[in-house]
Amino acid sequence: MVGIVLISHSSGLAAGAAELVGQIAAGARVVPAGGTDDGRLGTSTELIAAAIAAADTGDGVLLVPDMGSSVLSALALLADLDPESSGKRVRLADAPFVEGAVAAAVAASGGLDLTAVATAAEEARDVRKL
Amino acid sequence: MSANSEAWNAIDVVVRVVVLPKHLHARPAGQIAQLAARHQPNAVELAAGERRANARSVLAVMGLGAVSGSEVRVEVAGPDAATVADEVVEILLSPEIDG
Repeated sequence: MVGIVLISHSSGLAAGAAELVGQIAAGARVVPAGGTDDGRLGTSTELIAAAIAAADTGDGVLLVPDMGSSVLSALALLADLDPESSGKRVRLADAPFVEGAVAAAVAASGGLDLTAVATAAEEARDVRKL
Repeated sequence: MSANSEAWNAIDVVVRVVVLPKHLHARPAGQIAQLAARHQPNAVELAAGERRANARSVLAVMGLGAVSGSEVRVEVAGPDAATVADEVVEILLSPEIDG
């Protein structure tokens, strides 16, 4: 199953989003990576790397960032991955944080592959609520 | 209805209409989208009022805004159409505590 990593400046936001996603997408593998190493607001490439390792079961991992340095930290990590191995299995979604995470986790828990899971997350941008 | 042309004899189209006993919340929407993803050769569409949603999109299903007491039309086309339609109907009609 494709794993999902939720990257936020806030550990509470990442953990709360992961909890919500787990309720809607039962069985999904969702790992939060929020805040700095010492629990402040910010992002940590070490926490994100650990979350990727925890989410990866071999079918790939989709990173869903909130904004700003979450995106930059994820890009920095991706640039360091070996493009011939783990670099092929980790992707960064350009998607709204909560809706993208929900759509991705439902797709992943339904057994879709990394490309389809990333597409589900990115389509979240165009779905209206009202 | 069943398509009966020989070229399409593996494809069934099944339509069911249910009256929701509760709002179409996030959790059942997630269950329906997971089901649609697991049965990929089948196309699953939901319609409520003027709106339609591909059931594979959990957000589109939630975006139907289908409330308790309203009608939802379930349309499934594919090799397992009847089974998939039954499972979607079961989710739509199942009681739930919250979510």
